[in-house]
Amino acid sequence: MADRYLEVVEPEDNVATALRDVEAGETVTVAVGDQERTIEMLDDVNFGHKLAIEDIADGETITKYGKSIGNATEDIPAGTFVHVHNVESNYGRGDLAGDEEVEAVSE
Amino acid sequence: MSEFLGYERDDGSIGIRNHTVIVSTAPYANDTVKRAADIVDDAVPITHPLGRCQTKPDVFQTYRTLLGYATHPNTYGAVVVAHAGEIVDGDELAGDVAETGRPSASINIHEEKGVMNALDATVDAAREMVQDASAQRRVPADMSNLTFGINCATSDTTSGLCQHKATAGAVWRLIDEHGGRGCFAETPEFFGGETELSERAVNDEVRQEILDRVGNWDKRLQATGYDVRGAQPTPDNMDGGLTTIEEKSLGALVKSGDGPIQDIVDYGAKIPDQSGMYIMDTPGHGAESVTGIGAGGAHFMVISTGQGHTLSNAVMPTLKITGNPHSAERVPEQTDVDVSEALVGDETIEWATDELWDEVIDIVNGKVTLSEAMGESQFAIHRIGPST
Repeated sequence: MADRYLEVVEPEDNVATALRDVEAGETVTVAVGDQERTIEMLDDVNFGHKLAIEDIADGETITKYGKSIGNATEDIPAGTFVHVHNVESNYGRGDLAGDEEVEAVSE
Repeated sequence: MSEFLGYERDDGSIGIRNHTVIVSTAPYANDTVKRAADIVDDAVPITHPLGRCQTKPDVFQTYRTLLGYATHPNTYGAVVVAHAGEIVDGDELAGDVAETGRPSASINIHEEKGVMNALDATVDAAREMVQDASAQRRVPADMSNLTFGINCATSDTTSGLCQHKATAGAVWRLIDEHGGRGCFAETPEFFGGETELSERAVNDEVRQEILDRVGNWDKRLQATGYDVRGAQPTPDNMDGGLTTIEEKSLGALVKSGDGPIQDIVDYGAKIPDQSGMYIMDTPGHGAESVTGIGAGGAHFMVISTGQGHTLSNAVMPTLKITGNPHSAERVPEQTDVDVSEALVGDETIEWATDELWDEVIDIVNGKVTLSEAMGESQFAIHRIGPST
């Protein structure tokens, strides 16, 4: 049965939010729309933080609320802690100003 | 029942509080204002570092914000204290207050020949207003008069999953069932959700205005030459699990619900009288955003917080709601409504909405919020450009 403390907002999301502390080595089950998915945890994930519920390749979009919340900066296998160390934003990138990439990305 | 007990004003507005405010027009009047407010019980000091050496757009914004507080529905009367002949003119501000039928007074430190005389005059004027205000009684008023401000603070990943949903439920109850108004803000926190938000606009003009203002914020931030990640999400947001500004934004927008948007107004500008949901164009900086929404005339504000927050406003009562069980423990004296049972317990979002709504009704009828009881308040006018 799906763990109610691992919340996937929209079925197309590739991350879940942990509403309890999750430990590396745990096997967890998440509800994704009408489906259930079982994942081996590779990292500890604390209350309020996110975990990948599928394999996400470097550069791919991280999806929550059914929308982009940024891009993966490395390969993120299912069960990995997803946060500022492996995701980057696409907005307000003054550090890229002058590059073609600076154009704001919207959905 | 769709009435509450409020204070009638000559300009037709109805207040839920009956404050005497003492407004500084420039930093050099701040000390006189603070000292007078220390002496006169119940007087609210409005101080800030602005009001001179600003370019026109900033002068307008400063003046509009100060006038918004001096003529707020919750304001009985205002004493304006100026230092000399600054660009924000004290006599003009006091005159604009008087036009609303509110008692007003203008004190100028140079004209009074010093701070001691100015303090004396300020105390005299404020004391008289406080005493007259205390004689005014609450009368029944229609709830359609009320404007519900919304802001988030120290957001985390629980914000968009729980407390923002309860907040949206309560504000739309005021709009749909009672004909009131709502106002949310924090334009840079629309990043990532601006397209969907703009599609809620009542017409194409408002839709384009929302997109233009979001685009302007992105340009302003890029023009600093720095990655917005240096400032957003904030370190406390990141501690709470928020990874990017887009994730913060998508959660933040949950607090506005999904109903139609009537208009987007300038920072500190008056929120229109017609029923419905409005946006104010403010930064995500909570103290600046809340100050702007208060200037717009919101009667009260729900601050929907993830990790707990002290953000508050002296003229527009603020109540905090959280759905994060750890936050309710972390800052209990700042948590007016704890709905964490809807996130990690057996309660529903409908229950959480009812909990918030009941507290809102008590507060508009005179119950003080925790931050009012604690005497906490911050005031920060957003500035557009550099000082000169």
